Amino acid sequence: MRAPRALAVFGLGAALALAAGSALERESPSLPSLAELPRTPFVQEDAALASAGLRAVAADLAWVQMLQYAGGGIPELTDPPRRPYHHLQDLSLRAARLDPAFHRAYLYGAGVLGWLRGVERVDEAVDILRECLRRDPAEPLCRTYLAAMAYKRKGDNARMLALLDASFDDPRAPTRMRVVLANLYKARSDLARALELWEKIRANPRDEAEHPRAVQQIEELRQRLRERPGT
Amino acid sequence: MSAIRAVFSYTFKEHVRHRAWLSLALFGLALGGGGLVASALAQEERARMMLDLGLAANEMIALVSVVFLTVHLVLREIESRAIFLILTHPVRRPHYLLGRFLGTLAAVGLGMAALGLLHWGLLRLLGWGGGGSYLLAWLCSLGKTVVMGSLALLLSLALTSEAAAMSFSLSLWVLGHFTAEMHFLAEKSGSAFLRTMIEIVSRAAPDFARLNYRDVWHAGLPTPAWMGAALIYVLGYSAACLALSAQLFEQKEF
Repeated sequence: MRAPRALAVFGLGAALALAAGSALERESPSLPSLAELPRTPFVQEDAALASAGLRAVAADLAWVQMLQYAGGGIPELTDPPRRPYHHLQDLSLRAARLDPAFHRAYLYGAGVLGWLRGVERVDEAVDILRECLRRDPAEPLCRTYLAAMAYKRKGDNARMLALLDASFDDPRAPTRMRVVLANLYKARSDLARALELWEKIRANPRDEAEHPRAVQQIEELRQRLRERPGT
Repeated sequence: MSAIRAVFSYTFKEHVRHRAWLSLALFGLALGGGGLVASALAQEERARMMLDLGLAANEMIALVSVVFLTVHLVLREIESRAIFLILTHPVRRPHYLLGRFLGTLAAVGLGMAALGLLHWGLLRLLGWGGGGSYLLAWLCSLGKTVVMGSLALLLSLALTSEAAAMSFSLSLWVLGHFTAEMHFLAEKSGSAFLRTMIEIVSRAAPDFARLNYRDVWHAGLPTPAWMGAALIYVLGYSAACLALSAQLFEQKEF
């Protein structure tokens, strides 16, 4: 290829790439900057994966680490005394900031922090849900959970439960939140509804991790319902 | 055209018969299998994790393959003097280069397609319901591979050292995924000079971050305008690199 022709091809290619690059920038969804990631011991791991073009994989690993933390703790993160799930807000926001479309990370964190007995740090849960709505205002479950949280703050548990119940069958609802709801009914002595929900959990392959617990709960609830006077 | 086809054909056969290529394919299978096991940890997000890990593994293997193969593509033939034999035939240097490049891309693309099909089949077996476009994600990975291949070829001819070309190629891969961060830094920078320099570097580096449909898969399908811009970007960037490579190769004295 003669020099002028090569230069012409180079110029044309470069001009096309520059113009298309600007269009790509306009049309691409913007992801949160890595500087916005919460300060966790995993921040270098996240940056390394993102720099290799593996941001979605980094979000998946963050999700797995959050599940491990919530399921029994991880050595890198220890909770202060009498403050369970101290790091859950950061871990939930970490997964969601790596991939803002990872709605289940928001819902899981908010569900545990807002409704799990012995935790109930509503403010942290509300912050997570607000961030979810800021990044994706159309996400219906974050809106529902936020409204349910408002009823919880007011002490209107009946309306809170009605809202959560309406979203129980939504495939986007995290398994943990479905379990929390079943337990809320059980705590209110609405054993029949609690049993129905546990049976749904038992029948759903997506909730496989909770199946052993569901079998146990179903057995216990049936027993208690049988023992109830008048049943 | 027939010269390009002939070079393409022998390059493609050479790569497909190469043992390293087969090892990479096996490595890809192992990664896919590993993903199947690791994704079990994600519980209700198993399909999502399997999808992300599989797409990422396919792209990483394509990256390693294309950089390794392209960097050696011409330099090995110069070292072994085999290039003299080829160039004594009526083959123009740019045609030789283009045939070699396209043959390499076809071999890597074939490997990517095989791994992609296997991965997609596994996902369907797991009951993955779709959402988003697997084909588009695969095409974006192929697009990044094309850009990376053309850059690696340019660097191998410009630097004439395989190790340096590979290191620079991989650095550009990382830099290409930092373009959004570079724009962020440029915005935050107080110095106009620094801001301009960052902007120039971010425009010159390949914009892999925005081509990375894998990373925004879960946010939904991109617009047709995005798809058109991505296609033009890949073609334009690769054409620019190939034109410079052809010019460098033309000036080379053996």
